[in-house]
Amino acid sequence: MKQYQNYEDAMHRLGRITGILALTLIFIVPTLICVKFNIWPPAKSLLKGIYMVCAIEIPICLGEFFTYAPILGTGGTYLAFVTGNLANMKVPCALMAIDASGFKQGSKEADIIATISVASSAIITVLMVAIGAMLLVPLAPILSNEALAPAFANILPSLFGGLGAYWISKNWKIAISPLIFVVLIFYFVPIPPEKLSGILIIISAFFAVGVSRLLYKKGLLNK
Amino acid sequence: MDKYLDYLDVANSNFIYGLAIFVIIFIIFQSLIFMRKAYKQGLKIGMDKKILFKTIKSSMVFSIVPSIPIVIALMAMAPVLGIPFPWIRLSIIGSSVYELLSANIGAQSMGISGLGGDGYTAVVFANSLWVMSVGIIWGLVASIIGLKKYQNRIQKSRGKDSKWTEIFVLSLYFGMISVFIGQPIVEGGIALYTMIFSATVMGLITFIINKFKLKRLGDFALSISMVLGMVFAAIIG
Repeated sequence: MKQYQNYEDAMHRLGRITGILALTLIFIVPTLICVKFNIWPPAKSLLKGIYMVCAIEIPICLGEFFTYAPILGTGGTYLAFVTGNLANMKVPCALMAIDASGFKQGSKEADIIATISVASSAIITVLMVAIGAMLLVPLAPILSNEALAPAFANILPSLFGGLGAYWISKNWKIAISPLIFVVLIFYFVPIPPEKLSGILIIISAFFAVGVSRLLYKKGLLNK
Repeated sequence: MDKYLDYLDVANSNFIYGLAIFVIIFIIFQSLIFMRKAYKQGLKIGMDKKILFKTIKSSMVFSIVPSIPIVIALMAMAPVLGIPFPWIRLSIIGSSVYELLSANIGAQSMGISGLGGDGYTAVVFANSLWVMSVGIIWGLVASIIGLKKYQNRIQKSRGKDSKWTEIFVLSLYFGMISVFIGQPIVEGGIALYTMIFSATVMGLITFIINKFKLKRLGDFALSISMVLGMVFAAIIG
């Protein structure tokens, strides 16, 4: 057990160091571009823009952090928040990997599987985007082909159809309440789904935890 | 400074390509360090090498198809923001929805109606860069400052009850995927049919795997259901 504690601490240290490096890198890029080309936006518009984007993003990002960190474990969380694309990739990828490995969600083995899974996923995404950037000119006609447009527009329903079938059939008792909740919210709240979904993920996640807790205490989730 | 410099010359300059290459090297390097550390720890606590390798392989296979929308986002941004900066943004944190939104806010806060429009100069471009960069960091900032504390608190609250821990994690996950499943259900149309089709394919593959004991097919099940879902969408669309 002690050994694992050391690993956790080491992972936190590594995560913080690389996280700070990543943050530095994120800021160095626009700084260097502004210095190199001598283009400096006026401070007032800059602050206004930052304020506008942060007003939207800070609540969503914090909610994502609270929702995904318990799923992704220590190493997985640090790495996923550096590499991005959590809901549509890293989170389902890590959970599938844990499930395939046979270890229990939330165990120390699952933590390791999640880290390896997020790292593997990140490498593929970075490579795919790099290939996309290099081959953008030859790829553009394929990606913007009209006949293929519905295919690309429906990647998420294709992904979550498969994921949903897999996970809901295994754990329908946990799955059913957040799904009904979300459908009702989308149906009755007059905000377009794409604007609502960022914040709804968090609300729905904690709603699901609440319902599960009740069911669990009543002994309804013991297989 | 040349005020009339076309901002796309800046946006597509070799200089920014250089920065992009530097960034992706960093990300790959970081991922490899994490992977190595977790892998070694896995062996230390007695996990099977085979399972660890299988995790790498299946996660890589899984990630190929869901990466396509990111490439498409890159393509959508390239005409207005050049190639290399969106490339950087989508490689480090970043997501397709967020980037265009924040780039637009960057333009609007300078009084320009939108990306690439009249008056979208190099300076406005620079404003977009900053706004995009500052906007997405908060999940990472939260991890750096608060992950350790948050994990300790969760561990305390769920105690040693491993069954509840498992249910807790799965509940969070179902809360998340419900939003992606619920949206096509409410909107209907091609999205809904595609989702049902892909779910059916997944069901069939799972049946085949169980029936004929084809465990190896499991790694590809989700990719197959995704690709067939997309093919179905293209046919009915």
